[in-house]
Amino acid sequence: MDGVKAAVLLFVASLLQMSVLGEYPPFRSASIVLVALLAVSLLRGSVFGAVAGFGTGLLLDTATLGTLGVTSLLLTIAGFWIGRYGETTARDRFHAPYLSVAVVTVLYAYGQILLQFVLGEPAPAGLVTRELFAALLVNLVLTLPVYGLARRLFPPAEHGDRVREVRLLG
Amino acid sequence: MPRNRTVRVAVLGSSVQRSAAPGHTQTRSSAVKRRVVVGVLVLLSLVLITVSFRSTALDGVQGTAADVLQPFETAADHVARPFRDAAGWVRRLADAKSQNAKLRRQIDALRQQVYVDENALQENVALKGQLDYHGPPTIAAFARASAAVLTGPPSTSDQSITIAVGSANTIRGTTGHVAAGDVVITPDGLVGTVSRVFSHVSRVMLITDEQSAVTATDLNEPTAVGVVQRGNGSGAVLTMGEVAKEKHVGIGDTIITNGNLGAGLLPSMFPHGILIGTVTSAGISDIDPFQSIQVQPFVDFTSLQAVIVLVPRS
Repeated sequence: MDGVKAAVLLFVASLLQMSVLGEYPPFRSASIVLVALLAVSLLRGSVFGAVAGFGTGLLLDTATLGTLGVTSLLLTIAGFWIGRYGETTARDRFHAPYLSVAVVTVLYAYGQILLQFVLGEPAPAGLVTRELFAALLVNLVLTLPVYGLARRLFPPAEHGDRVREVRLLG
Repeated sequence: MPRNRTVRVAVLGSSVQRSAAPGHTQTRSSAVKRRVVVGVLVLLSLVLITVSFRSTALDGVQGTAADVLQPFETAADHVARPFRDAAGWVRRLADAKSQNAKLRRQIDALRQQVYVDENALQENVALKGQLDYHGPPTIAAFARASAAVLTGPPSTSDQSITIAVGSANTIRGTTGHVAAGDVVITPDGLVGTVSRVFSHVSRVMLITDEQSAVTATDLNEPTAVGVVQRGNGSGAVLTMGEVAKEKHVGIGDTIITNGNLGAGLLPSMFPHGILIGTVTSAGISDIDPFQSIQVQPFVDFTSLQAVIVLVPRS
């Protein structure tokens, strides 16, 4: 059930980003898809985040007729990493979604530039750096409503169901 | 008790192997599963990148998937349109007063210009007829395929859009189809060129993309020929480079596509006379052999709803 809910949430976020928000300058470098993915990953863990990231990336690459796999790779790593962060340390902390979004926004922007550079496409690092602050700001503003919605859709698991990474033996 | 006893023996009193806690195996197996899943996904992404980048093997699948997504994108656009229109109306209302005075001044100036241009046009037509002159191809030599814009530019570094017309669509006025390299315009001016074509959708590289370069000229000074490319700023401002210093390019001049004028082995893919933008600044420096010209495009790339693809008639 969580899979279906995540698919619908990320599909709607992708449509919003591609068809509506992308037209407005403040949202062009920011991404509601990234924020939604991080919220889902934080609440549902690394494997869920990685699979959701891969699917979302594939959807974005398909819809924009870009090179398949580029966005998938970045979002898979982003979803996995933030999922692990949520599993191991900070799922319930207030700052967790904001910190995740801030860090991943920066890494995602430079990761995208790096991949474009590797593929021999233009990689305007200076331009991305100039727009990074605005992207960061918009993504952080989007975090509050998007994470709130994600928390409603994916209520935190009961204490007993959580992954226990550290066990004291003996 | 042996002399070389282990810590385990010291603590437990015997070297009996303790069984692992039941949750420990589960945690280890979930860690392995996690690594396998992410490893497979990363590998799959790399395979997709390689295949998609190096060949056209996945183009069919991607085109079909894009066709499937097209109705959803159109629906999202329809849902968002009232809100977009409302936002645009508010924005335009704020600018209306200042624009009004500016436009009135322009009308006065243009009214006089129209009389002069009308005479020049009639003279031009008459002289062309007398000389049997054949100029470079203009927009009139192309059939037009109108298409809705499905998705906007995905990022500032990737200035591409997708449009709802492809190689399978028939176009009135020609037997040809949309192909890579076809020029894309709006009534306002030049938008870009088709970079990839699928059956019912195409990808268009905007003139604001890093890879775009358009041979252009100044409408007021036709010998000032240069190359219009993306500017250094984050906005949609373009630069017109490689214009010789002795050519006079003034602020407010209109920049158009140069077309095939003076074509060599690599003729321009753009027909002559498509509007690009107006010159907002022009300067000369001692160290630069060319002029430094900034061009504000006529097309508002933030609100592209529909475009026209120019398809060669022959």
